[in-house]
Order: sequence, then structure tokens, then C-alpha cells
Amino acid sequence: MELRSSDGELHIRLRQQAAVAQLGRRALAGADIDALMQEAVQMVATELGAPFVSLVECSEVGDAYVQRAGAGLPVRDDEPFVPRGTEGQTGFTLQAGESVIVADLEEEQRFRPSRRLSALGARSSVSVPIGSRERPFGVLGASSLRAAGFSPDDANFLQGVAHTLGAAIERARSETDLLEEQRRLEEALGHASESEARFRELADSAPVLIWTADADGMVDFINRGWLEFTGRTLEEETGDTWALGVHSDDAEAVGTSWWRAFRRQVPWEHEYRLRRSDGEYRWIVDRGVPRFAGETLVGWVGSATDIHERKEMEEKLTVAAARDHEVAETLQRSLLPEKLPRIDGVQLQARYLPAAQGTKIGGDWYDVMELDDGRVAVVVGDVVGHGLRAATVMGQLRNAFRAYALVETSPASTLARLNRLLSKDDRDVMATALYLIFDRDTGVVVFSSAGHPPALVVTREGPHFLEGGRSVPLGIADPSTYRDETAVIESGSTVLLYTDGLVERRDTPLESRLAQLATVAGVADGELGDVCDQVLQGVLGGLRPSDDVALLAVRPEPVAPGTLTMCLPADPSALAALRRRIGHFLKAAGASEQERFEITLTASEAAMNAIEHAYGPGDAEFELEAGVVGTLVTITIHDKGRWRERRGSERGRGLSIIEAMMDEVEVTPGPRGTSVRMRRRLGSASQPTAGLASPDAGSLGAERA
Amino acid sequence: MSTSADLTLEHDGDALVARLRGEVDMTNASFIREELTSSVPNDASALVIDLSDTLYVDSAAIEVLFELSRRLGRRRQDLRLVVPAASPLRRLLTLTDVGAVAPMHESLAEALEGP
Repeated sequence: MELRSSDGELHIRLRQQAAVAQLGRRALAGADIDALMQEAVQMVATELGAPFVSLVECSEVGDAYVQRAGAGLPVRDDEPFVPRGTEGQTGFTLQAGESVIVADLEEEQRFRPSRRLSALGARSSVSVPIGSRERPFGVLGASSLRAAGFSPDDANFLQGVAHTLGAAIERARSETDLLEEQRRLEEALGHASESEARFRELADSAPVLIWTADADGMVDFINRGWLEFTGRTLEEETGDTWALGVHSDDAEAVGTSWWRAFRRQVPWEHEYRLRRSDGEYRWIVDRGVPRFAGETLVGWVGSATDIHERKEMEEKLTVAAARDHEVAETLQRSLLPEKLPRIDGVQLQARYLPAAQGTKIGGDWYDVMELDDGRVAVVVGDVVGHGLRAATVMGQLRNAFRAYALVETSPASTLARLNRLLSKDDRDVMATALYLIFDRDTGVVVFSSAGHPPALVVTREGPHFLEGGRSVPLGIADPSTYRDETAVIESGSTVLLYTDGLVERRDTPLESRLAQLATVAGVADGELGDVCDQVLQGVLGGLRPSDDVALLAVRPEPVAPGTLTMCLPADPSALAALRRRIGHFLKAAGASEQERFEITLTASEAAMNAIEHAYGPGDAEFELEAGVVGTLVTITIHDKGRWRERRGSERGRGLSIIEAMMDEVEVTPGPRGTSVRMRRRLGSASQPTAGLASPDAGSLGAERA
Repeated sequence: MSTSADLTLEHDGDALVARLRGEVDMTNASFIREELTSSVPNDASALVIDLSDTLYVDSAAIEVLFELSRRLGRRRQDLRLVVPAASPLRRLLTLTDVGAVAPMHESLAEALEGP
């Protein structure tokens, strides 16, 4: 959601942090530098909402800088150059060595703004240097069409991106240097004519650490750079004592890997900590290659380079990534229902896609529950912002919703209470929510929306949005007025609830995204889960979304008129739901209040038998079928256990009641469970038979095993 | 969704009146029984259970009524029920012979007058 508030700001900052971390991970994964640069400018364009972003390298190419990547400012093959010198923003930024914010390019006095950007309508800009002051690489800049388009926070974000890029570039550079150096050395050594003196001269002038070893693996030469680094003498470093400077935690691994490479006569590479002359251990990468004269190993030549900064960045990123991921995962698990409830007469499916930037746990949430009156509550919400705070609020909201929904009778009154909760104590939190209460028996849905995108209904005739019942998001003002709207959902229709991550993108108007959703959902078919997958695929095009996406699909099952089937857990808590559904069913069948009570009672008593006969606790279930033909009501309860009489003092009483209340009772024990079928004709009050006072009597008693 | 009942107790003269609203089934019957048995003072003459707003009772609830009647009987206290003529519960209570141990009255006033 794009709502400007302090929470919106927090949301943006958290997202930007996550974006920089993501770039860092890509850099660590060894992404190609050019690809990384292009990714970085795209990310900056998205996160800052900047139409123009460019990355310029200040290498020595004639009298111009070279543009390496751009968003909204493509690199021009014919003219990739930016004028050199401090009169432009690029040169000025390099010289400043820190971020430069230009509130209004027309008013700028410090340097001459780019004519190319001015021609494109840029009004303000921000730029930061890439690379260290000592070894600058270039400049990363973004421009906006608005004046004062960038804040110091934006500059900090941009600098974070530049630091990450700088580290990646530095790493690539040092690797290039190293490879270049080794190639030169190998070349020098390959020439038999090269004297040892010539080699040493070459090695001593090299900017990297160089060593050679003899055919026995004993170090016989160390260049000046290495001696300066370790502060030790040539004697101390040669032979096999060079390893004394290696950090004790790394020494064993270094020795093992080196001697393994030595025995196999294959190139060696190892990253380890080496003691510097000032006592500090620095991470270096050390490589060695075997030298051969014909087939015979004659020695080794190796080089090492300081990679300490890169290693530190890697470690930080690894720790941060692991922590963020862990927090995000834990929260996500606790906030979304692990499994949707199983509700008779309604199919349910949900999908949750975390945002492309992995650590960005959002405030998306959904929930489904059965209310005491037998209706089904379906809710989808989205807390503005990301990160720990949004997730925490969402957790509170979800719990509060579950409590309020049970006591409030309408979506609007429930939302009003949630709004009161969020508005309390100046919490400065905002959330959207869409709450539907669905009546399975009538298909009537009552709904209310707090600033949330509308539900989409796909019927046989096609898709349409459930319009109306809209009001402001939760937490904006108290009191706020929420409205209920009513619609009828035909059985077999599909209702889709979703969060705005599915339909909101910076580059496309909301209306066209909603239209696209309707089109895609309109042609999706198959099982409800397949429909969800087709909708996500169709709308997102297989791309990971830039914001979290929650999708909840509800499909009332077609019910043949005059029948009711339920599958219930073999648990006493299922009895209330059973009675509610049968009560509705009987009412629709035209049963009187007396008949409804008595038939419901007999069904409940039969169900109690099924529950007590279940094979212990767990996921045992029993089925109930009710049907009416004309005025004849038939109720069948099928359990998976064996028919046994109930224990204790209630023994038999339930059965006596069933027999007295129904016209006909039939018990059919079978190998896979027992069926009890009961019939009663409406409108002809079943006459009680004598003998009920004695609970153990009755024809049923004989049938019990 | 769960079964819910609401029990309110008040004294009327030397009788204790218990108004039971909602539903009683096997999930809450024992709770109702504990509440009622622990609430009747020794010197009360009768417990009147008003079932006017009771929507549902099952065999477990019937069993509670029988047990209450036995306990109170030992203390020479009456158990009376208020069951309006139109209540769907009336037939069940008659069929199960609860009426034999706990007389049914059509109104609270009638029940308080005694047998």
C-alpha cells in the first residue's frame, strides 16, 4: 500500500533496507558486475520512484565519463559518455566524496546540471559516489520530475546501494588484478631465459603478495609486498614455517587443502586469516599453481590478496540475512492459519506469496471461521508497512478479529471495533480489511470493506466485483463509519479475496490491474486450488510480486435442493454446528418449531453415539446426510466405529429418545462402520410409544452388539 | 461454534430460581449440574429451574435433571421446572418422565406457588 504517513515512511525504509540486502546477496552470489549494475539502477528507480537513474564510471576514457547502466536513461551505444570535470554533477559528487542532493536543478549554483536531464524534464536529483575516496569508481544518481523529490533518507538509501556496488566492484577488480598478475608471473617463469633476478624484480614491484615454492612444497621465495604485510623476515617466511602467521582457527584447513593440492599437483586456492605486521588478522585469498618442466613438477608460484573488507561484508550480510529470514518465517507462520478450517458446504483455498525481496514480511493476513449462527466468516486484511511492527500489529488484529467476529453480528460492526482498537493510544497504525459473512443456506453474503480492494465473484455468467460497503482503512480516524452491503452468491460461484500486492503496481493503474484480474479469473477453471494458481500465474505472469500477495478463494458447493450432507469430526464440539445446519435445513423443508427441535435432537443423539464410538481421539469423522422427499425427512448418520451402547447412567436414554421421536429407525452395522437411518413424516406428530420410561427397553436394545 | 448456555440465579422467598437460557448438551451439562448443585443452600425449600428461554436440551441434560432431583430429594427439597405450554421441550420432558420427578409449571409464578 502506498499511504504516506510515518508508518508509510517506515514501510518504505524497511523495504529499501531489504532491497539493499538483496543486492548484497546477489553480489555475493557472484553476479556479473554489469548485470549487478543494471539491477541496482532498476531497484533504485523502483524504490525511489525515480524516472531517471544512471550509473557512471569515471575511468580514464578520453575526456569523458562512461555511463555503465541506466533506468529511464538508456546507455547510448553511440555516445555513452558524460562530460568530465567538476562542473557537472558527476564530477562534483566525486570531488565531494559524499551524497549530493539537489532540491531544484534550475536553482543549482554549485555545478552545471546535465542538459540531457533538463531536457527530459528533471527537476531535482540526488547522487552519491561509488567506491572509496582513495579509489573512486563512479557515481550513482537519480532524478525526479518534481522539485525537492529526494530526502536525506533517500540519499542514505542510495549510498547503501553504492557501497554494496563498490564492494562488488572492488572484489571484481582485485580478482582481475590477481589474475593479471599471475598471468604475468607465469609468463615470466615460463621463459627459461628469464633470470631469477628478473623474476624477483617483477614480483617485488607487484601490488599483490607473491610466493614461490620448490618441488617439495617448501616456500623458497616471498616478495617484498608479503614481507611488508607480515612484518617478518625472508628466513621466517620460507621453508614450511610460513603457516605460523595463519590464524589458529584456519591453520589446519589451510594445511590440509594445500598439501592435498600439492600431492595432486593441481592449482590451489584458499581464503584464510593471516597475521599482519600490526597484529591484526586479515582475510586473504591465496592461490598457487604448479609449474612443470615437461611432465616433471619443478615448483609452485602463488599470489595472495587482501579481501578483508569483502569478507566482513559477506559475514554481515550472511548474519543479517539469516536473522531477517528467521524472524520473517516465524512471524509468517504465526500469523497465517496453518491450515484453513474444513467447513461443510464451502470449498476454501488460500495462497500466500511473499514478496520478491525475501525478507520483506508483510502485514497480509486472512482467516476463515464458522460463526455460532452457522454462517461463515471470511476476512482478508493488510497492515500498512512491512517488518516486525506490521507483522506484530497484524497478529493483534487477527486475534482481535477472531474475538470480535464471535460477538458482533455484522461485518461493519466488527470493523468498527477493530478500528477503535487500532485508533487507540495514537498507535499510528493503518490497515485495510475486507470482511464477508456468508450464509451457506441462503447464499446471502454480507460484507464491509475498510479501504480494501473489492472481492471478485466469478459466476457462470462471468466475473464481477462485489461493489459497495466501502469505507476508510482501519486506524485513520475514530469514529469511522463502516457500512454493510448485501449480495447473493450462487452456489458453484467462486469468490476471490486478495491483498493489493496482487493488483497494485507502480507502472500500471489500479483499474487496469483489476480488469486484468477479472479477465484472468473469468477464464480460470477446474478445482479451486487450480483456479488460485491460474489467477496468480495470469496476473503476476510467473514473476515474484514486488509486494506480498494473499489470495483466498471461497466456493459454495452446489447443494441439491432438499439434501444436506456434512462430514464432522468425531468430537462433542461438532454437535452445535450439526444442530445449526440441521435446524436450517428443516426450516427450509417446512418443519414446525416442535419438529425442528425433535428431529435435531434425534440427529444429535445419534451423533453422540457416533462420537463415543470413534476409535479414540484424533481425526476420526462421521457423516450425516439429511434429505426430504415431500414431507418425509430422512436422516442418516454413518460412523466409522462399531455400534456399542453408551456407557454410564445415560445408557440407552438417547436411543429411547430417538425411537420415540422418529417414525422409523434402522441400524445397519457394517465392517467399516455403522449407519443409523431415521425417518419422520412432517405434519403428523410422531406419537410417543409406551415404555420409554424404562431406558433399557425398546427394540433397539436387541440390535446393539 | 460452540454450545452456550447462560445461567442466572436469584432467591425468591425460600426458593432458589435458576434461569437457564440457551442450549444444554453433553458439552456443558456437567458444568450446569455443578453450578446448580453448589448453589442451592441447605435451607432452601426448592430449586425452580426456569426453562422458558432454553432452546435445546438433550439426553445429557435430562440426566442432570434426574440427578438433581435425587440429590434434592435426599435433602427434602423440591425440584420444579418452568416449561411454557408452547415450549418444544415439553414433550421431551414428558416422554422421558422428567415430569414425574420434577413437576412442570407453565409460568414462574405458578412454580413458586408450590406443588
